Amino acid sequence: MDYQNPKIPEGINTSTSHPLKEFFLLTTGVLGVVAIAALLFALLAEQLAIYIPFETELKWAEKITEYKNRETNKQSEPNNVIDSKDTPMKHYLDELAAKISTAQALPPEMKITVHYQDSDVINAFATLGGHVFLFRGLLEELPNENAVAMVLAHEIAHIKHRHPIRSAGRGIIIGMALTMVSSALGNSMINQVLTNTGGLAVLKFSRDQEDEADQTALESLRKIYGHVFGASELFEIMQQAESTRLTPEFLSTHPLSQQRINAIHTFQSKHNIAEEIKLTPLPDGLFKVLTKQTTPE
Amino acid sequence: MAEILIFVALLALGYGFGRHAETRHYKSIIQREAALRDIPVVTTKFPPLDHPVNAELVTGSVVISVDYFKRFLAALRNLAGGRVTSYESLLDRARREAVLRMKQQTLNLGGHIIFNVKLETASIHKGRGSIGSVEVLAYGTALIHPH
Repeated sequence: MDYQNPKIPEGINTSTSHPLKEFFLLTTGVLGVVAIAALLFALLAEQLAIYIPFETELKWAEKITEYKNRETNKQSEPNNVIDSKDTPMKHYLDELAAKISTAQALPPEMKITVHYQDSDVINAFATLGGHVFLFRGLLEELPNENAVAMVLAHEIAHIKHRHPIRSAGRGIIIGMALTMVSSALGNSMINQVLTNTGGLAVLKFSRDQEDEADQTALESLRKIYGHVFGASELFEIMQQAESTRLTPEFLSTHPLSQQRINAIHTFQSKHNIAEEIKLTPLPDGLFKVLTKQTTPE
Repeated sequence: MAEILIFVALLALGYGFGRHAETRHYKSIIQREAALRDIPVVTTKFPPLDHPVNAELVTGSVVISVDYFKRFLAALRNLAGGRVTSYESLLDRARREAVLRMKQQTLNLGGHIIFNVKLETASIHKGRGSIGSVEVLAYGTALIHPH
């Protein structure tokens, strides 16, 4: 018997198509489908998040704070949160927050907790559980109570409209989608890339949410003071700060657009409240306690 | 950002080296297959023993590693399903190389044909993050004309 192994043509057991072609088809296909699904779910989560009762949000926020406290204690950094202490600043901000809460007609279960942070950061933000953070750096820039009230009213309005929980809902869904993909790919490298790029760390509010918060804040300012000149002043100060030195962080979390300033002016002229402007000064000695604390002898 | 750069660099490295190695390997495989074509490889267990021959076990074993790019493609295939073409060429190379090594051994022994040829595949992989390699073993009975 005669045995032979003739030459077998190439490309039967292997594919002749270019591997890069498959790479692009697969990455765009898989990632595209996952991205669309994640976006859809995120949108849905954002819409449904407002039906989460505020009490539940409070519980979650407590857990987050507990966790964060544990983390900061581990790092043994000096804790510059002094809101537990009974300072004139704390009193003042609490009173102002109470006034604004009444003006915005917050539901009774929606308790606002103002945290005053002794730090140079020019920023303020609202987060889960009705917590509003104000930094000394920002407060020092503000010339009168009206501007402080505008900042506070804006952040409280975020909470009134449930913006933190909506953003968190969106963030959690996107984070879950990313985790799903990375674990399906089973690659620790991809895992790192995805978690770092789509991080949940910062709650970011959309431009619409900022506008909504602005409108509510303006309404409450008008109710309290009869005019909204603190608001325009706040943004003027921010604009000046932006042109003279490094952009304050407040502007990166609250992008300042001409549209936003225009909206304030429209509000002003619509309600025709420019007759008699009385700006409320800040009470004396607000920062005194702080300076004593920050410069120990 | 650094992670993205490292990831892209790994993909590019995997693609560059992997592609280069594969093209070179296939070139060599096709060349050697032509050179060793006169040693047929047969799967039947029962050779026609019309005249006296010596029989000897011959083996050829190959371990080939997957590259980062191929592994990423396969992981994406894991989600979408379908032909894992990036691994197909890897295993094709391993099989053909194993047969070639077996043939080379036969040639060194002075054999002229290999009967009862079998191929075995084992993945050398222990959980996540470990090396992704495959071993292919070819073995058979070489028939050698007595001197």
